Amino acid sequence: MWSVVKSVLAALLGVQSNQKRQEDFSSGKPAAYIVTGIVITLLFVLMLIVLATFAAR
Amino acid sequence: MRSAWRWLLVITLSASGSQANANDWNMPVGVTDVSADIFGLHMTIFWICVVIGLVVFGAMFYSLFRYRHSKGAKAANFHEHTSVEVLWTAIPVLILVGMAVPATATLKNMYDSSDAELDVMITGQQWRWRYEYLGEDVAFTSNMSTPRTQVSGAETRGEHYLLEVDEPLVLPINRKVRFLMTSDDVIHSWWVPDLAVKQDTIPGFINENWVTINEPGIYRGQCTELCGINHGFMPVVVHAMEEDEFDGWLAERKEAAAEEAMGVDREWAMEELVARGQEIYQSICSSCHQAEGQGSPPAFPALANNEQLISDVDWHLNKVINGVSGAAMPAFRSTLNPVEIAAVVTYTRNAWGNDTGDVVQPSEVAELIAQ
Repeated sequence: MWSVVKSVLAALLGVQSNQKRQEDFSSGKPAAYIVTGIVITLLFVLMLIVLATFAAR
Repeated sequence: MRSAWRWLLVITLSASGSQANANDWNMPVGVTDVSADIFGLHMTIFWICVVIGLVVFGAMFYSLFRYRHSKGAKAANFHEHTSVEVLWTAIPVLILVGMAVPATATLKNMYDSSDAELDVMITGQQWRWRYEYLGEDVAFTSNMSTPRTQVSGAETRGEHYLLEVDEPLVLPINRKVRFLMTSDDVIHSWWVPDLAVKQDTIPGFINENWVTINEPGIYRGQCTELCGINHGFMPVVVHAMEEDEFDGWLAERKEAAAEEAMGVDREWAMEELVARGQEIYQSICSSCHQAEGQGSPPAFPALANNEQLISDVDWHLNKVINGVSGAAMPAFRSTLNPVEIAAVVTYTRNAWGNDTGDVVQPSEVAELIAQ
């Protein structure tokens, strides 16, 4: 689970080591990465909204 | 070697020459706190870009020179370097956030038009600006005053060619003024660089903006959204006055407006109306219908010797008051007051050989508008 989150975060940043990429593609289910990706993206958007609301006060 | 020195001389001379005109090349600092903030942001971001440029191109040129092929350099052939990749992702993010924070603070301030002491409605029209001091019963249109002869080249251009108007927008210094901006016809944009205001005026929408001017003076700008054939001929001029002076001006204008309102009920002599009408015609109508009423068909019909106009006063009044839908002719019912409409119609009916002898009284116009 934690390794999936780390891989998704790395993908958001756009930086990932080759070794890690090989691991991701050889183990784990695609659905896990997709769902984690959507959740983290939503969290990111939420964070921006909170930040903007805070700044607008 | 000699030519190298010559180049150095040329570069030094042009650099010292440019120093005197640095402000001509840059955006103005302006006369409001917001414009100074914007200028500061602009310069900060400019210097950030300069530093990035120097570092990136410096590293690039150094590498090109130091590791050149003729010195036997061999290309390194490695793939992926996570820490460097993280570094060159993180640095731009930090730079962008560093620029976004002050920029957002300035934007936030620019959009905060609350607590204004004076509200001015700015309406764009093809091709003039209308200013209305809300709650003060003062309103007027501001037309370009550069003569057409200067545009055609028959006369030499004046100092403020295309940037001068018959009546500037008058504002007080040190007071927060809120602008409510809209348009009667197409999208215009009201732009005065020294005030750091550049706002689209859109039909059916009201945009807000505000200024607090710090220094008295005359500030010039232009319409900056292509709005038709005379887009280049609807400049903006703002006359910023000391507060006392502004209060005096506003009181004077209020009185004049009240007097004009009284004038609707009295009987006007033909000469009075014609004289007044001629002024209005030249500032408002002549940009389309031309100075001698010859028009420029087919877009702008001639008024001189126009059979329909000569034979039918009611038709003529209707066109001026209600405009022509689907054509460039605007409705002047709210732009001009009854005295002005009566004057300009009387003038047009008695100028350039249209010798109808008709006199239209302001009271008749007021009645037509009320209908």
